[in-house]
Amino acid sequence: MLFFDQFKKNDPQLRLLAVLLTVGLLVLLAGLWWVQVVSARTFQNHLETQSYRSIRMPAVRGKILDRTGTNVLAENRPRYNLCLNWDVLRGQFDTAFGRARKQALAVQSNRIASAEKTLGRSLSKAERKQFVINSEQTQMLRAQARWQVANGVVTDTSRRLGEPIVLDPVKLERAYATRLAMPYPILTDLTPVQIARFEENFTNGLGADLDLQSERDYPQGTTAAHVLGYVKRDDSSDAGEESFFSYRLPDYGGISGVEGKYNDVLRGTAGMESVLVNNLGYKQSETIWTQPEPGRNVVLTIDLDIQRAAEAALLQHQGPNARGAIVVMDVRSGDVLAMVSSPAINPDYSQNNPTRMNDPILRPEINRAMQENLAPGSIFKTVVAIATLENGLNPNTTFHVEANPRIPNHGCYLLGGRVIRDEAPPGDYNFKKAFIHSSNSYFVNYGLRAGAESIVHVGKEFHLGERTGLFANQETRGNFPTLEEVRNSQWRAGETANLCIGQGEIDVTPMQMAVMVAAIANGGCVLWPRLVQRIEPLDPVTGQGGTNFPAGLVRDRLTVGARNLNLLRAAMLADVEEKDGTGTASAVPGMKVCGKTGTAQVQDSSGHETGRNLWFASYAPYESPRYSVVVMVESSTGGFGGTICAPIAHDIYQAIVKKETALPGRALATRN
Amino acid sequence: MLFQSHDHPSRIDRLQLLALGGLLLVSVAFVYSATMVTPSAVALPWYNQSWVHQVLWYLMGLAAAGVLCLVDYMALARWSYVAYWVTILSLVAVLIPHIGSTHGWGARRWIDLKFFQFQPSEFAKLAFIMAAANFLSRPLEELRQPRIFWKGMGLLFLPFVLILKEPDLGSALVLLPTGLVMMLVAGTPRRYLVRLVGLVGILATLFVADIFYLPVGWWTVPMQPYQRDRLAIYFGCDYTHFAPRNATPAELQRLRQKELNDAYNVRQALISVGSGGLTGKGWRQGTQNALGYLPRAVAHNDFIFSVIAEEEGFVGSVTVLALYAVVLFTGLRTAGQARDRLGKLVAVGVVTLLFSHVFINIGMNIRIMPVTGVPLPLLSYGGSSVLVSLIALGLMQNIYIHRKGY
Repeated sequence: MLFFDQFKKNDPQLRLLAVLLTVGLLVLLAGLWWVQVVSARTFQNHLETQSYRSIRMPAVRGKILDRTGTNVLAENRPRYNLCLNWDVLRGQFDTAFGRARKQALAVQSNRIASAEKTLGRSLSKAERKQFVINSEQTQMLRAQARWQVANGVVTDTSRRLGEPIVLDPVKLERAYATRLAMPYPILTDLTPVQIARFEENFTNGLGADLDLQSERDYPQGTTAAHVLGYVKRDDSSDAGEESFFSYRLPDYGGISGVEGKYNDVLRGTAGMESVLVNNLGYKQSETIWTQPEPGRNVVLTIDLDIQRAAEAALLQHQGPNARGAIVVMDVRSGDVLAMVSSPAINPDYSQNNPTRMNDPILRPEINRAMQENLAPGSIFKTVVAIATLENGLNPNTTFHVEANPRIPNHGCYLLGGRVIRDEAPPGDYNFKKAFIHSSNSYFVNYGLRAGAESIVHVGKEFHLGERTGLFANQETRGNFPTLEEVRNSQWRAGETANLCIGQGEIDVTPMQMAVMVAAIANGGCVLWPRLVQRIEPLDPVTGQGGTNFPAGLVRDRLTVGARNLNLLRAAMLADVEEKDGTGTASAVPGMKVCGKTGTAQVQDSSGHETGRNLWFASYAPYESPRYSVVVMVESSTGGFGGTICAPIAHDIYQAIVKKETALPGRALATRN
Repeated sequence: MLFQSHDHPSRIDRLQLLALGGLLLVSVAFVYSATMVTPSAVALPWYNQSWVHQVLWYLMGLAAAGVLCLVDYMALARWSYVAYWVTILSLVAVLIPHIGSTHGWGARRWIDLKFFQFQPSEFAKLAFIMAAANFLSRPLEELRQPRIFWKGMGLLFLPFVLILKEPDLGSALVLLPTGLVMMLVAGTPRRYLVRLVGLVGILATLFVADIFYLPVGWWTVPMQPYQRDRLAIYFGCDYTHFAPRNATPAELQRLRQKELNDAYNVRQALISVGSGGLTGKGWRQGTQNALGYLPRAVAHNDFIFSVIAEEEGFVGSVTVLALYAVVLFTGLRTAGQARDRLGKLVAVGVVTLLFSHVFINIGMNIRIMPVTGVPLPLLSYGGSSVLVSLIALGLMQNIYIHRKGY
């Protein structure tokens, strides 16, 4: 064979040459094997790094809908930006640079010629150098050419749109250096009129083009803002997602509320686009590697009408700076029909006034329905009532309340050396009378007799001092003594007395109170409140990826007897219906409201009153309870639950009645 | 062998012609692939396109080779000193500013004949082989004389120095192994050659040490800055080494940037070759060239191997190597069968010259050799290189035709 023949030659020189050639070729072969086979992966990676740019394409964020599934609380709005496309302009850049270079060269040869003329001889190489365009000047000419072209396009666009557009040369150059594969926005968020003008005037590509982005939009304004929460610009990758991208398109991440808790579901899965760029960085082509998977819609239990009515009622009675909260709940299913916190915030977070947001008194960002520790005051007497009745209290037994020696028309209760004040007048009280006048003396007396342990026992059944689990990080568990604490010898009778009137070692949230009232109303079922009905599947046909959250999940059942519960309900009805009840302001025609008012004093460390928590906890209708409405207002100007909160509840019930009669034969808050 | 049986021995070396034909096809295909990537190149009329030019050069080269085969190489050898001195003259001419053209590359290598950019160094290689073969084919006793040895050295170093002066380090360097191997085969005493190789080796070592490891300010070999930079890149030496001692950080930064830019070609060539992988991306599917990462000015000539390797992968590279191997080993066979020492020496010279080109060029694509503008014979675009390579193979056929027993 040709190859081996060369080694068998009887000519040592040629044999040596054959060996040398073989060795040389083998070295090349080995080198190529190493580069192309062993290290191929490395070089392919190098190639990808230098010629591909990956772009994170955020998914369309899911909508948030109210319980009907049709009223939109949060959605996306298309946002059109007018952009320059570098790759389209590249040819024009080169042409402009060519022209500029020609001029510069002409100037250069003119200057050399004139210099030679004055010297009377031709220039030496070194002398010539000072006239010749150097690479820095060339770079500058290129930048100038880019600016010229870009500015030309922008001026032209600006004229045709009838809209002044300013181009910043510094920003333009920075974008050229760092974001050459991406369009450069020159006018953001175009109005429909501008879009129409653009589409009319720019039929062929002139270097400027529209770029579509999506922006979070809350069509109901500030309605249910605390429920919805808000989003912030967040382009980062989710867990399990590709973490390195050359560029990221604007995306949002939920920070609080439903937007925060269900961010993963709403946000969907981002897609990935890859752009092939040439050695200068201009875009050559693009391919979508993975399509973004849109976010899923979240359907709430919120009823937009009731939510609006509740917000309007609070606003109308207390103004925009009221610090208060309202929870409306379906007592049969635990569905939260409305959750209001005031002062309202705008879910479009940037629209909020930062000084107002940071106001230490208003603290608008706090969801007062769940995030504030509040003393319940007399609405806690419902729990005390159950404890005393269960302890064997005869509701018809009367208790004589002594007059307060300092304020004769008010009663009082003497406990050791301490005088417990009473808003109710002195006189004889049975259970119902004591309840509707909210007699502190009566409830302290029988509460002490029943003992702290039995009160705490009933409270535990209502799961006071525990979170309802609606929002993990935006809920306080409140504050409620444990059985160990009250059994402890440190526990004093005075503390039990405070507990009997909903003061002292107890803090609750309006949401907890709504659950409590609902349990009283529905016959003893302590429910898990539900705010999200379901997550809608992406494909309604297969239904895959959807989740339904069951309604009416029972957390606990009260051990109270039906007779005692009925006594309590009757007393709550009387508080509204009887003319000397504290909650009469909430009565509406067409629906029997049962309620309990509360007024808790908030004291500073030295015992001075700094404000009051005013409450009205209620449900309706009496015969077949469907709604529980809890209204709370933090007041710094005094007032009572019955005068401030009951009228607000009245407006809400009125709206509910109106809504129910508008839809005859169909109870609104039906069980799902 | 397939094309050659002992019963019907062929006049010409068909196997070598076949390999040559394969290389020519590869060349046209990949000059096409390497150049037809910009709209402006595609828009050129067909008669101005590079691959058509390449075909034309082949036709001319094949014609010239065919004509040369008609005359016995012994007759041709008589003109070898004339050819030698003509090329030496043209090598001198190219150094004269208004005759030699730089093509804007800083090196003065071309004589502009309007229709043809004549590159004397390419022809000098061939003329040197002919002249050296003629010179060395004298009786062995004469070769032992130092006078003859030094004359031979003069024959080698005259074109070597002139080409180095252009400067074209690569073309100058390939003369060294060619001359050495020819001397070896001619029968020059070993001791001369060993001393020569030793001397060159020591000089080269001193040279590299001088450039890279001696402190700045000492005497250094006079060199074009770009040559020094290329060597620095090959030896992985920092450019900042060449900075004056009082260099500002900005100057150092500029040097680093320059190093990055200069290493660019090498890096891109390596990425092209490596990313080709085992089977490549397919003809005209390579991105390195199409997107301009591999500089367009060199993709179709000095770096054509990168384009082939990227588009056809390891399989393509090996195919190219195999074709070269066939050409080289048939050349060796020709040398063994040559009628006289003249023919043997010419054949050996041509084989060594081709091999040196192939080794340096492919080696620089995979970074085992420094970048020195050496074309890949028969594959790179370029008239002079193609003509000279084909004429050289024509000579080889000539020697084969007139081999022993014919």
